[in-house]
Amino acid sequence: MAPSRRTLHEILVTTPSFVWLSVLFCVPTLIVFAMTFKPADMYGGLGPGWTLETLRHLANPNYPAIIWRTIWLSAAATLISLVLSIPMAYYIARATPGLRNALLLLTIVPFWTNFLIRIFAWKILLHPEGFLKRALVAAGIIAPDTSLLYNPEAVLVVMVYTYLPFAILPIYAAAEKFDFHLLEAAMDLGASRLTAFRKVFLPGIRRGILTAFLMVFIPSLGSYVIPDVVGGPNSEMIGNKIAQRVFVDRNLPHASGLSAFLTLAVLVPLAVVWVVQKRTSGQPPTMQEVA
Amino acid sequence: MKRSPLPLLTTLLVLVFFYLPIAVLVANSFNASRFGGTWEGFSLRWYSRLWHEREIWHAFRNTMLVATTATLVSTILGTSAAFALHRYHSRLQRFHYALIYTPLVIPEILMGMSLLLFFVALKIQLGLFTIFLAHVTFCISYVAMVVLARLQDFDFAIVEAAMDLGAGWWTTLWRVLVPLLAPGILAGALLAFTLSIDDFVISFFVAGPGSTTLPIRIYSMIKFGATPLINALSTILLVFTFLVVLLTHHLTREHHS
Amino acid sequence: MNRYRIIPRLFLPALWLAGCGQQTPTLHIFNWADYIKPALVERFEREHGCRVVIDTFESNESMYNKLKAGATGYDLIFPSSYMVELMAAQGMLRQLDHSLLPNLVHIDQAMMVYATDPLCTYSVPYMMSNAGIAYRADKLGTIEATWAVFDRADLKGRMTLLNDYRETIGAALKFLGYSLNTTNDAELAQARDVVIRWKKNIAKLESEQYKNGIASGEFLLVHGYNGDLMQVISENTNVVYVTPKEGVSISCDHMVIPATAREVKLAHAFINFMLDPQVAAENTAFVHFLCPNKTAYQYLSDELRNDPAIFLPQDILAKSEVIKYLGPADAKYRVMWDAIKAAE
Repeated sequence: MAPSRRTLHEILVTTPSFVWLSVLFCVPTLIVFAMTFKPADMYGGLGPGWTLETLRHLANPNYPAIIWRTIWLSAAATLISLVLSIPMAYYIARATPGLRNALLLLTIVPFWTNFLIRIFAWKILLHPEGFLKRALVAAGIIAPDTSLLYNPEAVLVVMVYTYLPFAILPIYAAAEKFDFHLLEAAMDLGASRLTAFRKVFLPGIRRGILTAFLMVFIPSLGSYVIPDVVGGPNSEMIGNKIAQRVFVDRNLPHASGLSAFLTLAVLVPLAVVWVVQKRTSGQPPTMQEVA
Repeated sequence: MKRSPLPLLTTLLVLVFFYLPIAVLVANSFNASRFGGTWEGFSLRWYSRLWHEREIWHAFRNTMLVATTATLVSTILGTSAAFALHRYHSRLQRFHYALIYTPLVIPEILMGMSLLLFFVALKIQLGLFTIFLAHVTFCISYVAMVVLARLQDFDFAIVEAAMDLGAGWWTTLWRVLVPLLAPGILAGALLAFTLSIDDFVISFFVAGPGSTTLPIRIYSMIKFGATPLINALSTILLVFTFLVVLLTHHLTREHHS
Repeated sequence: MNRYRIIPRLFLPALWLAGCGQQTPTLHIFNWADYIKPALVERFEREHGCRVVIDTFESNESMYNKLKAGATGYDLIFPSSYMVELMAAQGMLRQLDHSLLPNLVHIDQAMMVYATDPLCTYSVPYMMSNAGIAYRADKLGTIEATWAVFDRADLKGRMTLLNDYRETIGAALKFLGYSLNTTNDAELAQARDVVIRWKKNIAKLESEQYKNGIASGEFLLVHGYNGDLMQVISENTNVVYVTPKEGVSISCDHMVIPATAREVKLAHAFINFMLDPQVAAENTAFVHFLCPNKTAYQYLSDELRNDPAIFLPQDILAKSEVIKYLGPADAKYRVMWDAIKAAE
């Protein structure tokens, strides 16, 4: 093939997606950053000129509490998801083919189920007059006036529920490729089961763990519906504040400022993982494992 | 050698965790009680009520319209992007890869927010069309990644062989490439379709008059408390999801063997 | 060759879906949830050979913001009075053509003192409501009608306040004996502290799920609108609605036609239809709000006509106020609301 024809062909297959995403992804993201520096008028529009007012507003004493809550809830959800998914992925990877398929299917079904329905199911389950509450009270685990819903713990549980499949699938994909003879070899050489697991298995599936970390941590940071539906008056996260600024206060510069902050908060862990991955394999983590 | 019981126990725990809320939801959809909580006998009345809910049918139609069109467009764009990424390794493609990859990891609320500002700035009337544009935007990346994964074990020698044998560019594309890659493209399209049907946050930001989609409708039903109806609707959607997953599973299994 | 034929087939469902229902004129309404009797909407559709599509909003602000964000396709909207003022001031509303609204004569002029637009230039009053308290009498017995109930720590986690800054701060202002339209900083600061104190006892700031929540026993006491709660009571007699003795907020929702409306004639026809005394009475019996339609009162059942939740008793009415648009001072309430939401 002549080089010019090759270039032409490359441009032909690259242009559609490149243009589409530049216009509908890059430009809007830049608008968000730009709008942070516009003043807001009283009627929910934008004033003339440019200002640093919004940046000053981000130092508002009301924000640190919300930002801190967003980060710790996301970190906790990620940690719990990893702790649950590593042994589960290990089990699935070592199961017989039939059982493995069944287990994978059972993991994928909640992952493909409508997101709102999964959250709603928890509202039913944790209902103050529901069977779970009554069972827990009868067993003496909780007091009758303990509320299972509308607190940060409920938000955490539902976040784990929502994002857990995103952690299991990439870790499983890595574990599937892992050579389990290595574990046995390590133990033959005198390593304890735990040491072998920690020193041989975990590094072996590191790539999967990193992908899982991103797949849980990043969407958690942007949570909006979960705290809205099962959260209480003290469970607000950054996503809720952005939605409030857009839909209630109609202060687009403030909403943009928060969004820009969140974007940066997302890009930092992403960049870190990217660098770590690049050192090991030369390729950033992908979604392939999940799909 | 004896294995630790911990992995098995965790797996069982997670499965109970996954299915307990769903089981309660499905059981409640047959509960005659209007407010949930207590069991007041078996009933199918919420399913028959659901049948007559006009707003739900309207929302369903909107969802299907957006999902079919967005899937079609994003499958074409995503597949061609995957080809580009796989075949060429220029500097342009490194940019292209970053452009495809970033939307996958940006929280939905940010994408919804930025698209809303974009549409407002351009004075584009919010509605089904803006929802369609938004859905294509996030579906492209998923389709591209899935197809790219399939391309990785694809031997391009076949293409060159076809061309050497005198097949034109178009014939090679339709007779050789597309059929061979069909399972991958189909899997990507199916993922795009599911994501589009499922999306709430982005649609909520860019929706306009009369463009209520099924997830937006479900959200307002959750908020305004038509509990038994959502239970019934959820059960139907769960069964539907289960069938789709089984089908996909079947398709990919065929491909592997 | 087969593959070429598949593509148009993929398009078919899309075309079929797009083709539905585009011939008949469609009236796009933007309204609060459960705020019109569905059978009446169907009757209007039959009588005028049109389709009516209703989208719902959860607060005046979210409706306003949707419009500001570019939602221009609505023909008829139902905002509260302070929002009518704001929208009219911004030129967002169309002047009404009274020749198309012969039923305007039925409006109860005595109630127009609560409306912001007594000549109906831009708006026609639709329903009047008040925000009070509903509770589960089967679980709590009879309780005194006062805002102080939100200080009851024994109901911690089982109560809700409205997720609406004017209503909830307004309730605290009433509790303290101040006007709910005050712009006095000292009074507002006191009200803020009261709401922060109450917040410790509530499960959620909630404007929508309180109806289902109190019906299902999830919440035992909620702050909400009379009509919404009366709808719950008509299905669950364990729920009781009271108007606190310190006074409540009264609001009046209006029907307005936005400047960008497409089906202007049809929108007028709908307003006129809702003003028909028998339609108004039938609608009142469904939504349980007060429709200020004098001729309609005679068609109401005795039970509705004598209901203190709908027609407030004189002593409470005297202490109650309409929520007014405060202009620039509105920002004070918003800043307070942020502080309240962030407080631990």
